[in-house]
Amino acid sequence: MRGMNLLEQLIYYFSHNGMYVLEQFYRHFLISIYGVLFAAIVGIPVGILIARYRKLSPWVIGLANVIQTVPSLAMLSIIMLGLGLGVNTVIVTVLFYALLPIIKNTYTGMVNVNADVLDAGKGMGMTRLQVLRLIEIPLSLSVIMAGIRNALVLAIGITAIGSFVGAGGLGDIIIRGTNATNGGAIILAGALPTALMAIISDLALGFLEKRFDPSTRTTQS
Amino acid sequence: MRKRRLIKLPLFLLLMTSLLAGCGFPGLSSSSKDTVKIAAQNTTEQQIMAAVLQQMIAHYSDLKTTVISNLGSSTVTFQAQKRGDADLSAIRYNGTDFQTVLNQSGDTDPEKVDQMVRSAFKQKYQMTYFPSYGFADTYQFMVTQEFAKKYHLETVSDLKKISGQLRVGIDQSWLNRKGDGYADFQKRYGFSFGHVYPMQIGLVYDALANGKMDAVLGYSTDGRIGSYHLKLLKDDLNYFPPYAASVVVNDAALKEHPELSKILKRLAGKIPVKTMYELNYQVDDNLKEPALVAKQFLEKHNYFERSDD
Repeated sequence: MRGMNLLEQLIYYFSHNGMYVLEQFYRHFLISIYGVLFAAIVGIPVGILIARYRKLSPWVIGLANVIQTVPSLAMLSIIMLGLGLGVNTVIVTVLFYALLPIIKNTYTGMVNVNADVLDAGKGMGMTRLQVLRLIEIPLSLSVIMAGIRNALVLAIGITAIGSFVGAGGLGDIIIRGTNATNGGAIILAGALPTALMAIISDLALGFLEKRFDPSTRTTQS
Repeated sequence: MRKRRLIKLPLFLLLMTSLLAGCGFPGLSSSSKDTVKIAAQNTTEQQIMAAVLQQMIAHYSDLKTTVISNLGSSTVTFQAQKRGDADLSAIRYNGTDFQTVLNQSGDTDPEKVDQMVRSAFKQKYQMTYFPSYGFADTYQFMVTQEFAKKYHLETVSDLKKISGQLRVGIDQSWLNRKGDGYADFQKRYGFSFGHVYPMQIGLVYDALANGKMDAVLGYSTDGRIGSYHLKLLKDDLNYFPPYAASVVVNDAALKEHPELSKILKRLAGKIPVKTMYELNYQVDDNLKEPALVAKQFLEKHNYFERSDD
């Protein structure tokens, strides 16, 4: 191995451990997705709620802001005290960090729906639920999507740190690289797929966000 | 309409919390009841053995496994086991547990240490120390093959006749260690080295291979012993405490999964020091992942199918 340059080592590494990297990639992705999914399940209703009861919004968003300022390693350790080592701790940590972008964007999306459109809906005799389902959510969906996109990119980064509490994922490969005698190639083999995952999910959700944008949406959909 | 929503909300919350509390995430085999959780430290050896255990369990049973990897020290893995975060530790070294968990020192008789650790773990912590894998990780003096031939070196006592002119590279922490450090070494063996160079443990192998040192004190299972063909000198006075490596399992987990014990016993005595450092070498110097090395090793030995029964 000593005669090879970094690129050759990297290719050699992938050719031998490709399946393993793929497994960890999948695991890493799942952990991030679960965290964001739960954050969306909690965050979107909360966002809708504080858009309706505006007085609550500074408190809720302030709280989410405070959570965001806790360093991720500290957050991970705090949650570890309660949930112990393993993957659940990381999923809950991701959930907490993903809350802010999702709540904030849902709130913003809801608040920015044109008041005239709302009035028109009410004028047509829609119930509050119908207004929400047929007007507010469709019109703010692209903004909510932008929040989820932010959250997912954030989540992928946090999951990498999750290796410290034994959750696995691509962070495992990076840490092993730092421990190995000549681990430059191993570090890259963990870091490059992590970056790739963040970029791809950002692009994919960016695409969805555009599709949902009412101003660019085509009439047929 | 309003009423229906009021019913839906608590139902929804209930579903959410039960999902989070149950915490069996599909695809992650996290912590559902039939998952065996293996704790491993951040060393190569530990991660290889964790992968070996994982694949052995998958081969012989339908149990799911998950590895809690990269833990910082043997204390962390012990705590994880005690709290039930982990069901078993991939490797525990009885010498280390003797000093850190039992908080004892002084005794270095391998049998006695082994027995004390075994019974203390059983009675105090309800954990079972399995029979050793067959290798022990300990400090060991090593020299190059040529040097050994030239001075006819087989044991540490053989170093005595040339000790005055030796350049010896050692682990920084060994110099001032109590119990099994340099000071007590001099007392036991009755000689000291001409020149002692404390350095980081990872550097001693290269220093020896490059001829900068005549002899070094290293770890007995390091992969670089294999890559440099170093000669290990036998600790003929049993000075260094034994750090025999075993898998340690919570009794609760053994009770819950009775098949586990039989699977783990198949590995007893199957991995001698030489094998372990060959495996370490594959990972440390050959850019292979521990999981891959473990798979190749087990396939080569047919998962030890013919061992006991």
